[in-house]
Amino acid sequence: MDRFAFLLKRPIQLIPVLLGISLITFVLIQLTPGDPVRIMLGPKASEDAIAFVRARYGLDQPILVQYFYFLLNAIRGDFGQSIIYRSPVGPVILDRMAPTLFLILYGLALSVAFTLGLAIAAARSRGRWVDQFVRLVCVSSVGIPSYFMGLMLILGLCLKLKLFPVSGYAPTLIDNLYHLFLPALTIAIGVTPILTRNLRATFLQQMDADYATAGRSKGLPERYIFGRHVFWNSLLPTVNLMGVVVSFLIGGTVVIENVFNIPGLGQALIRAVLTRDYFVVQAVTLVLACGIVITNFIVDVVTVVLDPRVKL
Amino acid sequence: MDRRSFLKATAYAASLASLPGIAFSARAADSKILRMGYGSDVLTLDPIKTVYGSDIIIQGMMFARLLQANADRSEVGPGLAEKWDISEDGKTYTFYLRDAKFSDGSPITAEDVAFSYTRMRFQKDSAYAAPFQPLKEAKAKDAKTVVFTLDRRFTPFLTLTEIWNTGIVPKAAVEKMGDDAYAKAPVTSGPFKFVEWKPGDRVVLARNEHYYKEGLPHLDGLEFRYVADDNTRVSMLQAGEIDVCIGYPVARQPELKAAGFRADADISSVTYDMLINHSKAPFDNLKFRQAISHGIDRQAIADAVTLGSGRPATSIFSPELNFFDKSLPLIQRDVEKAKGLLADSGVADPSFELLVSAGIADDEKTAVLVQAQLAEIGITVTVSKIDSTSVWTRLIDGDYQAELNWWYNETRDPDNALRWCAWGAGDNKSYYTRYNNEEVNKLIDEAAGETDDAKRGALYAQIQKICVDEVAQVAMFHPNWLNGYSPKVKDLILNIGLQFSEIDQTDLV
Repeated sequence: MDRFAFLLKRPIQLIPVLLGISLITFVLIQLTPGDPVRIMLGPKASEDAIAFVRARYGLDQPILVQYFYFLLNAIRGDFGQSIIYRSPVGPVILDRMAPTLFLILYGLALSVAFTLGLAIAAARSRGRWVDQFVRLVCVSSVGIPSYFMGLMLILGLCLKLKLFPVSGYAPTLIDNLYHLFLPALTIAIGVTPILTRNLRATFLQQMDADYATAGRSKGLPERYIFGRHVFWNSLLPTVNLMGVVVSFLIGGTVVIENVFNIPGLGQALIRAVLTRDYFVVQAVTLVLACGIVITNFIVDVVTVVLDPRVKL
Repeated sequence: MDRRSFLKATAYAASLASLPGIAFSARAADSKILRMGYGSDVLTLDPIKTVYGSDIIIQGMMFARLLQANADRSEVGPGLAEKWDISEDGKTYTFYLRDAKFSDGSPITAEDVAFSYTRMRFQKDSAYAAPFQPLKEAKAKDAKTVVFTLDRRFTPFLTLTEIWNTGIVPKAAVEKMGDDAYAKAPVTSGPFKFVEWKPGDRVVLARNEHYYKEGLPHLDGLEFRYVADDNTRVSMLQAGEIDVCIGYPVARQPELKAAGFRADADISSVTYDMLINHSKAPFDNLKFRQAISHGIDRQAIADAVTLGSGRPATSIFSPELNFFDKSLPLIQRDVEKAKGLLADSGVADPSFELLVSAGIADDEKTAVLVQAQLAEIGITVTVSKIDSTSVWTRLIDGDYQAELNWWYNETRDPDNALRWCAWGAGDNKSYYTRYNNEEVNKLIDEAAGETDDAKRGALYAQIQKICVDEVAQVAMFHPNWLNGYSPKVKDLILNIGLQFSEIDQTDLV
């Protein structure tokens, strides 16, 4: 089979995965105690008003009937109404995808830059002070919760030094490179140590490999061996690890979005779960699940590109 | 371009873009846009569907009412209505409207007022029709005169005409747009008009040029932002990204004050209390309830939770309300007396589960204090922290023993408050405590129909005494609203009823 045949197979495999996720989410959130209509209408509403609104959203039907209608509508591209906002879910979610996507990509870009810099510096100076320093930084920053890190950055860089804004998502790309720098940095501080340790270890392993020794014996300069061979041969495990990290990040943006007040999917999900806004929970979960599946897919593609021996 | 120069250019662009100190989305220097941050999201812009703090606050900026409360809400005065008559039998209220316009320039007529009230009182999904039950009919007599007919004498009615859900909406626009569309982009009657609403992010308002008060509001516009995290909101105030921080953790008060922010608490009508389920053991036992009431130290809890700005509770409603009985003494903590009451109660297993909404710092702190204080008199309290929606469901279903909660009253008239927390005949069963005393129910109705202030006062005193003696709820303290204001904000306070009632006179300097 052609190396890239999985490109076609993947979307088909995706269908049962998403169906399973949607069914589980639907049943779980509906079984959680709490009624979105009561939240929407508030403590002062009469029983009549509550029954009236419940019927309007079809929430008086059995769960499986509701799920059936949800599926039927979803196939037509209609993900239902947000009960709390009284408006279609689609636009609510779409508005919030951009900030989250931007934040994750920005955070990853910083992480990759930091990781490459740190891992190369450490590996090339194995055992010397630069290496020791990088390892110390990695060990000491790996356990800091992003909530705490975010608050510390706000305190130091926003309130004391007044270098960055505390909050927000701006309308333009350039604005956002500035506005979302701290949240992206928070992500990078969380992710970089994990990736750096992995990449440094692989570099070292590859630098000791036979082909590198062979290169040295031929008198090739160390710089050439590293840049031409070791570097490229070492990327694969880190790319795979990055796939896992991104999957975690997709869930982890919830915290970062709250600390930096970014109107993204994570914030929407928290709110929807707390208010039992069933259809929003459903839609956001599906979007996030798709995000994870797509990430894995990209990792697969990159793996195939990097290593011609790999077949999927 | 070769690879090296491409990388160079990219790095250069990136470093330029992240150059610190460039405030890209700062407020233009000459525009007076007031930016507020609040921890609860705006859910609807339709006054009759509004129940949450965020929506209640914003209604006051968008809609004018027949009458308007002054800043301390001590009295109501003319609003859209210049004057009014009340019939001899107290059942007919006639309001005479001034010349005023909606934000689209169309005139506000008696027809619009009748429509707004009929909708609020009779539409099925109106969220807060309960206080208006006596209203039988609202009718336009002519273009500027509107007549309300009540089915009984009901004194609190006049003050109710200034609460948020009586905001006057245009009949033509609502009918043309339909409820759902109107709630997303309303035509308004108050100081500000609607510009934009991004759910989960912000509502943007602009000065309404057609506002009935000449030359007001002073502000050009207003941005109402949803900032979920309390500490982020405080940081944004400190960094100048918002001008008003509505609600902040009390622990941040000294720091805000030291930095020159106005963080003096605005007076509220809030009562913070422990709701107890009268239909469940051990709270169906009067002596047990009294043991608890004597076993907690209200002053200590108020001091700890509000850093001294709150007042310990002596009655079940706030001292800010009319007819509050000042003669009621503060129940002092008395361990021996509480132990005696507990022994008299005959409760074999003096323990209960106290529900707390997870993540609310004040509730968690209070729960620990209550737990420790009651342990000393021999009552074991198990604190259960669960998410607020689940707490809410259990309250409504009656599936709880005790829970920490708070509530406030919209007006200074106590009728609303008492129907909310002690009137067993209501839909909410005395705020889900299931407290139901026929005599109290009767007295509340009687007081609402009384026009003589002295007689009303006597009736309310009687009600308060019974509720305290029977421990209808364990009222603990009255906190203030905790809002932080930038020194640039002039003439703005949140009144007891959760409204910035003088927002039209607020200025930024």
